[in-house]
Amino acid sequence: MNSTNYDACPECDLLLKPAQPKLGEKVHCPRCGLLLSRPRKQSIERTFALSIAGFILFFPANLLPMVGLTVLGNANTGILISGVIALYNDGMEAVAIVVFLASILFPLVHLCLSLLISGHLYFNCPNRYLVAWMRWMHHLDEWVMLEVYMLGIIVACVKLMAIAPLKLGWGLYAFIALIIITTMLTSSLDNRLFWLRIEQLGKESKNAS
Amino acid sequence: MQAKANALRQGFIRCHDCGYLVKTVDQPSTCPRCDSHLHARHPHSLQRTTAFLFSSFLLYIPANVFPIMTVNQFGAGDAHTIAGGIVELIDSGMIPIGMLVLVASILVPSSKLIGIGLLLLCAHFRWQINARRWTVMYRIIAFVGRWSMLDIFMISILVDLVDFGGIQIIAGPAATAFAAVVILTMFAAENFDPRLLWDNQKNL
Ligand SMILES: [Zn+2]
Ligand SMILES: [Zn+2]
Repeated sequence: MNSTNYDACPECDLLLKPAQPKLGEKVHCPRCGLLLSRPRKQSIERTFALSIAGFILFFPANLLPMVGLTVLGNANTGILISGVIALYNDGMEAVAIVVFLASILFPLVHLCLSLLISGHLYFNCPNRYLVAWMRWMHHLDEWVMLEVYMLGIIVACVKLMAIAPLKLGWGLYAFIALIIITTMLTSSLDNRLFWLRIEQLGKESKNAS
Repeated sequence: MQAKANALRQGFIRCHDCGYLVKTVDQPSTCPRCDSHLHARHPHSLQRTTAFLFSSFLLYIPANVFPIMTVNQFGAGDAHTIAGGIVELIDSGMIPIGMLVLVASILVPSSKLIGIGLLLLCAHFRWQINARRWTVMYRIIAFVGRWSMLDIFMISILVDLVDFGGIQIIAGPAATAFAAVVILTMFAAENFDPRLLWDNQKNL
């Protein structure tokens, strides 16, 4: 089965000869203009390093207070999960679950998957679950909404400033750092290269056994 | 120019998950590289997209009519709809933030509903259109969808923080409907296959 001589555009199904772009070059589909590939310098190493950094930052971003509000001497501080709990207690279970998934669980799972995948590729260590992890990560991509949450924080802060003085906590700074890391992670992860390396690793381990 | 034709017509199927190209003559049902099911086009793309789109159309009405949050101040409740919240932001001089919320929670969802509707009509009636332009429209729709969740996240923060003896913010029924609209339109966009637009063009 020697079908890898060709490539197809995922959005217009144009049959293409795979280009061999150099670092820093972008390949667009000539028919529909979709960005097809953009090779990255040391994609695996960078993804691995950024996944570790993101994984470490995830905990302060989730556990330290993000925003504090003081009204008439009473102080309230919020973290990611306390918003979920407040919604849940208001009887908005469905919304609480959506917020929990999009801002806590999916980002964590996504980070773990990219840590696992890039770690295995970095140490050239085959694993039969690599393929499944890669597919899950691909499907989760769209549902990790940290950047959207950040905009939500900004709008909420603007609204709250009208009520009472706000105090920004370390959790918020960790959260901002986490967003920067995950954005860099997404752009450093070269899907094509990852799939090729996984395929190679699988073949190597099959030949060895 | 042989290479300028659809991969499917030349006997190839592209794996949706990993991008591997498989020859259709082998009649494989799963991808040899990643083991996911192979489909030349998303299965039942138009039916599924239509179903998700109709449900989100229906939910879009309660999402805009009912209050999305209620501010209780010393016993007096003040209910806000999505539009009311934006008007209030603009009234209090927060024009850039007001515009941001206007774009994220009104313009994006409504143009998404209309846009996916048009894409469906176009694919179903095999309109001869500028497929490239419509594919770009699809790409924009698929990209901006998630940003509408902004309102929902904002409410979760407000509900959490503003909970003092006299003042309290409570989420309203529109929040559930609105979150459902955002998720359903994301499903609708995910299930639509832009390659159908290209399949229908006669003069390619
Ligand atoms: Zn294309
Ligand atoms: Zn595959």
